[in-house]
Amino acid sequence: MQIIENLKVKEKLYIEKLENGLTVMIIPKKGMQKKYIIWGTNYGSNESSFIVPGETEITTVPDGVAHFLEHKMFEQENGRNSLDVLTEIGVSANAYTTNDHTAYLYECTDHFYEALDEFMDYVQHPYFTDENVEKEKGIIGQEIMMYDDYPDWKVYLNALQTMYHKFPIRLDTVGTIETISKINKDILYKCYNTFYNPSNMAMVISGDFEPQEILEEVKKRLINTKANGEIKRIYPEEPDGIVKEKVTQKMEVSRPLYTIGIKDKPADTSNSNSKEEIVKKHIAIEILLHLIFGESSNLYKTLYDKGTISSAPSMDYEFSRGYAHILISGQSNDPEEVYKSLKEEIAKIKESGINEADFTRMRKTLYGDYIKEYNDVTDIARMFLADYFKGINSFDYIEQIMTVNTEYAMQILKEVFDENKMVLSTITM
Amino acid sequence: MEYQIKEIKKGINLHLIHNEKFKTNLISIFLTTPLNRENVTQNAILPAILRRGSKNMPTQDAISKELEEMYGASFNCGIDKRGDNQVLKFYIESINDMFLPEGEENMLSKTIEKLLEIVFNPVTENDGFNKTYLEQEKNNLKQAIEGKIDNKARYAIDRCTEEMYKNHPFALYKYGYVEDLENIDAQELYKYYQELLKTCKIDIFVSGIVENSIYKSIVESKEMENLKERTPQFSNMTLNVIPQNNGQEVQESMDVTQGKLILGLNVKLENEDMQYDALIYNSILGGSANSKLFQNVREKASLAYVASSSYLKSKNNIFINCGIEIENYEKALQIVKEQLEEMKQGKFTENDIEVAKKGIIDAIQTIDDEQDSEIMYFFGQEFCNNKLNIEQYLERIKKVTKEAVLKIAQKVEIDTIYFLKN
Repeated sequence: MQIIENLKVKEKLYIEKLENGLTVMIIPKKGMQKKYIIWGTNYGSNESSFIVPGETEITTVPDGVAHFLEHKMFEQENGRNSLDVLTEIGVSANAYTTNDHTAYLYECTDHFYEALDEFMDYVQHPYFTDENVEKEKGIIGQEIMMYDDYPDWKVYLNALQTMYHKFPIRLDTVGTIETISKINKDILYKCYNTFYNPSNMAMVISGDFEPQEILEEVKKRLINTKANGEIKRIYPEEPDGIVKEKVTQKMEVSRPLYTIGIKDKPADTSNSNSKEEIVKKHIAIEILLHLIFGESSNLYKTLYDKGTISSAPSMDYEFSRGYAHILISGQSNDPEEVYKSLKEEIAKIKESGINEADFTRMRKTLYGDYIKEYNDVTDIARMFLADYFKGINSFDYIEQIMTVNTEYAMQILKEVFDENKMVLSTITM
Repeated sequence: MEYQIKEIKKGINLHLIHNEKFKTNLISIFLTTPLNRENVTQNAILPAILRRGSKNMPTQDAISKELEEMYGASFNCGIDKRGDNQVLKFYIESINDMFLPEGEENMLSKTIEKLLEIVFNPVTENDGFNKTYLEQEKNNLKQAIEGKIDNKARYAIDRCTEEMYKNHPFALYKYGYVEDLENIDAQELYKYYQELLKTCKIDIFVSGIVENSIYKSIVESKEMENLKERTPQFSNMTLNVIPQNNGQEVQESMDVTQGKLILGLNVKLENEDMQYDALIYNSILGGSANSKLFQNVREKASLAYVASSSYLKSKNNIFINCGIEIENYEKALQIVKEQLEEMKQGKFTENDIEVAKKGIIDAIQTIDDEQDSEIMYFFGQEFCNNKLNIEQYLERIKKVTKEAVLKIAQKVEIDTIYFLKN
């Protein structure tokens, strides 16, 4: 096993790629009661067109299959539901689907190995029938409707739809009532067999473990599968520009919600330096966002004093295969004012440059934020998995943060914070 | 983990939680005062005004910059309802010295100092709070109060609670009422704040690598010296006051896609100790993926994505929560009632009890894996007549029997059925 140690946060990562292609990562946490395991496939709602290894034809499936598959994985041939079995064992199990990956997980203090039997068994043994697929449509239908009532989800999704012309990030992860109606067991099996091959998967374990021992336990429970060839993922060609600058929807909310998006170019993964570059760029963007609109920024102070906003917005840089964008979200009486002032502030900093003292303070803050992510085994495991599928080792953020300077940040500011690629999505009464 | 509780002065407790496994220090201060209609809005605005500035950091900007310099120490404040009390909460989380890139900075003492300063030493003018700040925070609080409708699932539970506890303090909204805001003025509010500090229950929690010198430095701080001993007015957990609405049905309309069905149940306990049996009861009813509600409303009938229940210990209520198609109201309600009936008839197994216990034991064993849950556990014990440490809590859960759960089932009755539709 390869061991990567980070001396700043004082943690170690044990990593091994098994013969069947599965990557296993272990981050031991001495003294923690909680044990956490997450097993993910590099497959999310963005993958609806692909070429199965060994085939030549493109397969296209309805939107929402990855999420549907996640729901159905728990069903077992013996008539049991693995979620129930795991709960009975005494562990807390769950699963989730994002745009770029799907993950299965459980956490517990006791009965870890007993649960591991069931956990690894169900992820490796799908059991879909016409009947159990039909039944799930009602449940997922309610899940879709639940999201329909979340204004913060709507404002986010609308922002993506007005930024992206074709790229599937613009679609709801769960699909729509209409697309899920077309899902059947054959589609589920095809996607399972393509994307749930060990070579397309990774497992992360965190807790008070002895790494070699837990690795052996995992290996024992793997069924015999050969590593697959490369899956060719087909994404529609996405233009650089946005669809439309503004989008608005009416819902019953007390005060307008806004999401401001800035569309970025996805990373060029063909370049060998790209991994390091992605992390550096991500760090620079986070520092910039805090400089522009963090709690000690001029913009925040001005808008707060005017009563335009009452809390700091949430700010994120989201990226994966084929897409990258910044999102700034919050509630305001006057989203247009927030949008206009933000644009002006960006222009101002581009013009006047970045204040060195502010920059250093923000970098310190971000350093602290990175350290805080290592308290909880859940946060650690999820972070390592999500970053892994982006080609990143999570420690790199802590390693690289001090190499990001004002000069580099200025370059990123000019490249990424492009006025012509900004959108404003609002939800109003 | 080592936990110590020390009385600084009568009514003011310092809780020290020493734990070496975290990267962070977490400091919190809780001010607890009875929930009542007269003061609910004033209490709600206080954290917001206090965070605006202290004597030595007179602007929010100054506070932010100071905390950012401390490697992004994060300040947080809020309002909670705990039984018939209103709790003003203040937190700062900072990095342990061990993980600072430039070595020792004595971060823990600095963090404590900042939090004491923000809570107990606000910036003032003309014997009152800063007028401008107050006007801005009134406006913000107004928005927070109006924001109640934004999360429909939460809103439905709040509304069900209001219907259950009509004319009772527990019905009060924790952020208060818009109509009160107008009458809050900077001098009066400051007077009220000083009065509150003389009478409220004060709990200070320090979690992290806690050395003995911490106690001394807090006790001798000027903020603590200025506070006087008190016999704090607050309400302990009680078994009485139970809503009596006998299954009233309340329906309301809003612009929603999905209907939110909430059932408020009373659990009529004979003694505080029975709460642990009630926890197991709730877990079997709707506390997990194996529960009756999840299995029958969601998995078998395919009516919902969310179908669960939660036990509110401080009021002895259980809230059942289902997100359903509006036209399925009758069907879903029928199935929910059947589950309650099955519990009453003892249609659950020893295995169900074991599964429920395992889930709860697991949760108890992870309390000390998170600083915030550790703090909340020990704070919760402040309101119990019979205080248990984590080990005793664990032992008590292990002792729950089927008979005891069956006994709880007989004590459960539907008080209010609330439905939010379109």
